[in-house]
Amino acid sequence: MSAATTDTPTPSQGPTPYAIKPPSGVVHNPHVRRFVACLALGFVLALMIGEQEGTQQDFGLAFREAVALPRILIFLGIGILVFLAITFWPRIEHFLIRPGIRPLFVGLLSVAVSQTLLKWSDSSVVGNGKFGTLAGKAADTPQLAPFARAYFTTGVAWAALIVVVVVAAYAIFTGQRAVAWVGAGLAVVVGLWAFFSQGRVVSLLQTPDHSTGALVALLGYLAIAAACAACALRRTETADTKGFIDRVFAWRPGMPLAAVGIVVGLVSLGVATWFSPQNEDLTLVDTASFFSGHGLAPLSQAYLSWLGYLLFVVAAVLAVLGCLRRDTRIAWATAVVGIVGAVLTLMTLYSTSSLGAKSGFDGASGAWQNLGGGGWFAAAAFTILAGAGYIVLSVAHDVKVGKLSDLGSDIVGQARQVPGMGKALVLLVVAAALFYPPTATEFWQKVIVSEIGIYVLLAIGLNVVVGWAGLLDLGFIAFYAIGSYTTAYLVGALPITPPEWLRLPPLAAIPFAIVICLIAGVALGFPTLRLRGDYLAIVTLGFGEIIRLVAINNPANFTNGPRGAFGIPQPSIHLGPLHIDWGSSSLQYWYLLLVLIGVTVLLFNRLEQSRLGRAWAAIREDEVAAQASGVNTVRVKLLAFAIGASTSGVAGVFFASQIGYINPDNFILNNSILVVAYVVFGGMGSLPGAMAGAAVLTWLPEFLKDQVPAEDRQMWIGAVILLMMIFRPQGLIPAKRRAAELHGLDDQPREETRAVPAGEGMGGGR
Amino acid sequence: MTDFLNYLILGLTRGSMYALIALGYTLVYGVLQLINFAHSEVFMSGAFGSYLVVSGVVGSHHNLPWYATVGVLLIGLGSGAAVGAFVAWALERVAYRPLRERGAPKLAFLISAIGASFFLSQLAGKLFNRLSQNQFPTYFNANGAALHIGGASVSWIQLIVIVSALVLMIGLDRLVNGTKLGSSIRGVAEDAPTAALMGIDIDKTISRTFIIGGALGGAAGFLFGTAFVFSNTMGFIPGVKAFAAAVLGGIGNIRGAMIGGLLLGVVENLVPTAPWNGGQAWIGIQWTDVVAFVVLILVLVLRPTGILGEKLGRAA
Amino acid sequence: MRTRNLVSVAVLGLAATTALGACSNSNDSGGLSGGSSSGGGGGATYTVAFEGPLSGDNAQLGINEVNAAQLAVDQANQKGDLGFTLKLLKADDVGDPSKAPAAAAQILQDNTVMGVIGPSFSGTTKAVGKTFGDAGLAIVNPSASNGTLQTLGFKTWHRVNPNDFAEGPAAADWLAKKAKKVFVVDDLSDYGSGVAAAVIKELKAKGVTVQHQGVDAKTTDYGAISQTVKNSGADAVFYAGYDAQGALFTKALTAVGYKGIRMAGNGVKSSVFTEGAGAAGNGFYFSCGCQDATVAPSAKDFTAAYQKMFNTPPSTYSPEAYDATNILINAIKAAKAAGSVTRATVNEQVNKTDYEGITGHIKFGTDGDLAKGSGTVNLYEQKDGKIVSLGDITKAS
Repeated sequence: MSAATTDTPTPSQGPTPYAIKPPSGVVHNPHVRRFVACLALGFVLALMIGEQEGTQQDFGLAFREAVALPRILIFLGIGILVFLAITFWPRIEHFLIRPGIRPLFVGLLSVAVSQTLLKWSDSSVVGNGKFGTLAGKAADTPQLAPFARAYFTTGVAWAALIVVVVVAAYAIFTGQRAVAWVGAGLAVVVGLWAFFSQGRVVSLLQTPDHSTGALVALLGYLAIAAACAACALRRTETADTKGFIDRVFAWRPGMPLAAVGIVVGLVSLGVATWFSPQNEDLTLVDTASFFSGHGLAPLSQAYLSWLGYLLFVVAAVLAVLGCLRRDTRIAWATAVVGIVGAVLTLMTLYSTSSLGAKSGFDGASGAWQNLGGGGWFAAAAFTILAGAGYIVLSVAHDVKVGKLSDLGSDIVGQARQVPGMGKALVLLVVAAALFYPPTATEFWQKVIVSEIGIYVLLAIGLNVVVGWAGLLDLGFIAFYAIGSYTTAYLVGALPITPPEWLRLPPLAAIPFAIVICLIAGVALGFPTLRLRGDYLAIVTLGFGEIIRLVAINNPANFTNGPRGAFGIPQPSIHLGPLHIDWGSSSLQYWYLLLVLIGVTVLLFNRLEQSRLGRAWAAIREDEVAAQASGVNTVRVKLLAFAIGASTSGVAGVFFASQIGYINPDNFILNNSILVVAYVVFGGMGSLPGAMAGAAVLTWLPEFLKDQVPAEDRQMWIGAVILLMMIFRPQGLIPAKRRAAELHGLDDQPREETRAVPAGEGMGGGR
Repeated sequence: MTDFLNYLILGLTRGSMYALIALGYTLVYGVLQLINFAHSEVFMSGAFGSYLVVSGVVGSHHNLPWYATVGVLLIGLGSGAAVGAFVAWALERVAYRPLRERGAPKLAFLISAIGASFFLSQLAGKLFNRLSQNQFPTYFNANGAALHIGGASVSWIQLIVIVSALVLMIGLDRLVNGTKLGSSIRGVAEDAPTAALMGIDIDKTISRTFIIGGALGGAAGFLFGTAFVFSNTMGFIPGVKAFAAAVLGGIGNIRGAMIGGLLLGVVENLVPTAPWNGGQAWIGIQWTDVVAFVVLILVLVLRPTGILGEKLGRAA
Repeated sequence: MRTRNLVSVAVLGLAATTALGACSNSNDSGGLSGGSSSGGGGGATYTVAFEGPLSGDNAQLGINEVNAAQLAVDQANQKGDLGFTLKLLKADDVGDPSKAPAAAAQILQDNTVMGVIGPSFSGTTKAVGKTFGDAGLAIVNPSASNGTLQTLGFKTWHRVNPNDFAEGPAAADWLAKKAKKVFVVDDLSDYGSGVAAAVIKELKAKGVTVQHQGVDAKTTDYGAISQTVKNSGADAVFYAGYDAQGALFTKALTAVGYKGIRMAGNGVKSSVFTEGAGAAGNGFYFSCGCQDATVAPSAKDFTAAYQKMFNTPPSTYSPEAYDATNILINAIKAAKAAGSVTRATVNEQVNKTDYEGITGHIKFGTDGDLAKGSGTVNLYEQKDGKIVSLGDITKAS
């Protein structure tokens, strides 16, 4: 127990009373150790970053390229910087608690990331589309407006960033309010400069653009402006960012949502592209004049020319009023106007794009094509404003009313429930899930459906088994496989076809897949009930592999072996007057998937609070105690397996019919391991956490495609997972119960965990 | 009978490697109650590390005299063990100790190990190459027959693998049961807080356990590379099998890992080929892994803590 | 404690960002020339895309192919008689059918792309063949050999390599002349099981006794299967799989002292096999519907250029990918000469291909597969560490 503490580089902690012999000498000097560790960090970064790649002939080539002399010095320098930062942290820490530091830091990081990693243009003329490439070309383009060329001139953008940051930092550190206002103004100006410069490039290139770089840069500069404003308006000398946000919600719960809605709406109605026929970018005004007199439905024409603006203004005013006055009648009105606005927007988008398709723009064959992001932003804005109304309604009976004057105060409230904050976040996520995908590129739409969405659904299912019931399942993909093969069988895509009366369209396979996966889950669960933690892990792993190998080995020619099942039809619904056929558009699948995810989340959310959910928590924490207090552990465990398995089966049905072709390679062990990683990365036992984990880790490899050599992506993902677990083992969005486990309910660090190496958390208690 | 012996020898060879790797899993499990999922990459790095040394030593020579061959083999084992030990030590410092200090939930260790595993395997691919087969230089006739047992022949490489594995395992058994370090490892495995009160430095003991397990894994990497081929993704499948072997024998139990490894290797080679069946294959070799996992599941259903039961401290 | 860590992560992130920025700021100037897709303009840019595994377990195959495609594109640009600029877009599908649609979307959304080399595998082709067909974008498979692909109704699909049913039966006919009992081993992959099925069918038709087992392609230990092959008393063994595993298998066969005929298909015939197997590979036979790209005169230049550019000899399916790329480039040229370059016109030109490539003479049938009789299947043997041609397999002794 003794030397354990001194090994860690924490100078503030002395030897414990039990110390036998305090280690001494250079090797045990914490500073020396930390220095070496930081140099090692720099060294590893040098190996990771760059295009060097091993060769067959020369084993050492990539290594030598990576540590070539001037190059390695940069990375060792980074290591030394990290060392200095950590070592002198206590000296600078008290400078960094002043109001505005966090937003300044976030803003700086956003702009830096935007100008190094993100795309600023989607046109193939710009090569990889990143800021550096675009700037190099744009600065030499005489057709570009002078102000935009200026921004893209070598070094100008970075110099502007440095100036803004220096002014803001100066204001924050010295506390001069006048300078802070100057900094805020400067940040807004530079942010808009960047945004509109990129806008000019887009209108010059005349290709549809989905890049996010300029937007992120603008948001970053706005964050810096907010930092300056926070400095200028501060009432205290220490910042309490989280407390500030809490107080905003306590003051007027719906207000942040209303503000976001208004900003999104302004962007949509003002500058965003609504319709882009023949590579032209038409804003709302242009679209209105473009379609006027071409026989557009009167309502849609009215929306384009005046109704849209009117609705937005009404919704915005109502939302602000409703939030301010906390008036349920106004809130109802807001919600109604917002929903009407969203519906009208969608109707308008439908009729404009249908009319455009009739005119044959860019080979459009039906509705919903050639649309820009504007309409979707407008729909999102209306939805968010309606959400603001809903928040007001849902917290109307909350007696606690914050005061405006509390906002800047340093009263750190007790751990109180902040009304509406969770709901506001959920509403934002829902609005984004509904209206972001149509504005993304075809590639990202595909990724959202076939990677992110499916794995989110799988993670939701596995979260039941691993997160709630605490059963480590390393063969989860087996149920996904069973769902897929069930579908393939029922639609007749396997060598052995079902009897005619059993032939089904893909969506009708869902109940069958659920039932079969339930049975498979129980079949797996039953013999393994006696096993604990890691024994269970290897058995489930074995089960997953057995399922895959059986699919490969093709007994009785049922699975068609490695050649897989081809020709699984796309889903369709023909119910009475309702006819929906899913084609090749990713968006259609996305909304189908969204329905599946939504239903699952609603059901599982109920489940977590139910008797069963509490029983799971009980067996997770202490199986013996749970049994003693009357929990039927066999039944509860089997239910966890079965429910998780059936979710996976539904995902399998969706996957099979979306892609139309499956083979055993889709169900390898690595995928099972990855789903577990998603759940833990996001936060075990937390539904939003599992979803966020899956979304982030499936998004990351596709994002990294533009950043690092393709072969290196898995290395970077490994590093991200590792860092996450080191610095935030509870995951992105930890479950409340687990967060309490890790930090104690009152945020006291648990000292005794140092000596006891394991047995905490899931499966523990041995 | 000859057929049976042939397959048995193949099984023992494969099983010896499983056992060596399984020991790494089991040692770590003994002291931490954690599956070190990144142990497969320790194995992989042992192969790459020893390749760099061995190819440097051997150069372009072929068919060295026997004493030089023995020397190269020892160098290879030693360098593989050293690299494996270093990687395992670094792994513990980076991927495990910070989590232990935070009292992270158990699954977080598993995931950080998975992250480390992705990282190490792909970093090795980036630095060396991503080919699926790299070969050690041919400095001796590995496939030549070394001895004959009842009509079956044992090749040199099979003999080397089995003998080195035996020697290493016996050495480990002595180390754990007969030295002060061994008793501190057993102490930590049995009851960490009490061991700490007895003056055992837990962090140091855990570190050394990783180093021992890593050395065995690295040596196995060298043997595997010499017998077959090596690559940056070579660790995954033997890693999973060795993990299964460790669980089969009773994870956390050193002798259990040895028995589990050998048993798994033998079962994998004997059951699908069924040499007692008069040359008539019973089920094809494509069912090898299914057989391995079914045996594992059956054993665990009958004996939920493996053949010898867990606990490094008690049974060893 | 916690804040400190958060900040150190942030610092780290920033440092990494700066370093990345420092590395990636390559300023190739030239200005933004608007209207890239104007079609037929003097400085127009057209792109051919490659879809295949560039990461993951099967990356080596994809890299063999994408290198060859890069070489073809660079050579075409260097000649300077194109009248347009040619680019290569690399889309990584990890060889995984479930990731192929995203890679296809990445290709389709770039409207300068006029044709696709790939996908590398039959599985990925099945996953996206229809998508490309609906978009009217020509795809030329360099290595997907599944014998049913041509029957699946993909509208713009072509392939330059012979399919399993062209190569397998020829090899089986030859084996049937030599052996009464043949052991067929496949690698449990889409490709391997397809070839194995074709070979077994033909062997059985010729009255040969056949035994069949599979070994997962990720296995490195071929001891048990080699022992089984030896014990079975088969006169010949046919391996249906790829080169790296073939080398391991033949080494294990030698180690157990198997003396019969050893043979494999196109997937094994490469320098990876000869290097991996070494002396154990001598006497190994290959059937291949291709000219030997390392020996045939028309391919010498390609081999030299490839070696020069990538510092490694061309490997499995590099020649096929080179031919596929050149077919697309020629089709774009022809479409330009005929007036307009669109995906549809390029696809028409690909259909009309009549091209003397380094793997043989290439003409497409109406189903997109190699036209019947446009390729002969040749027999090869490894002698003294080199693969030599023994001529037409139907005439070989």
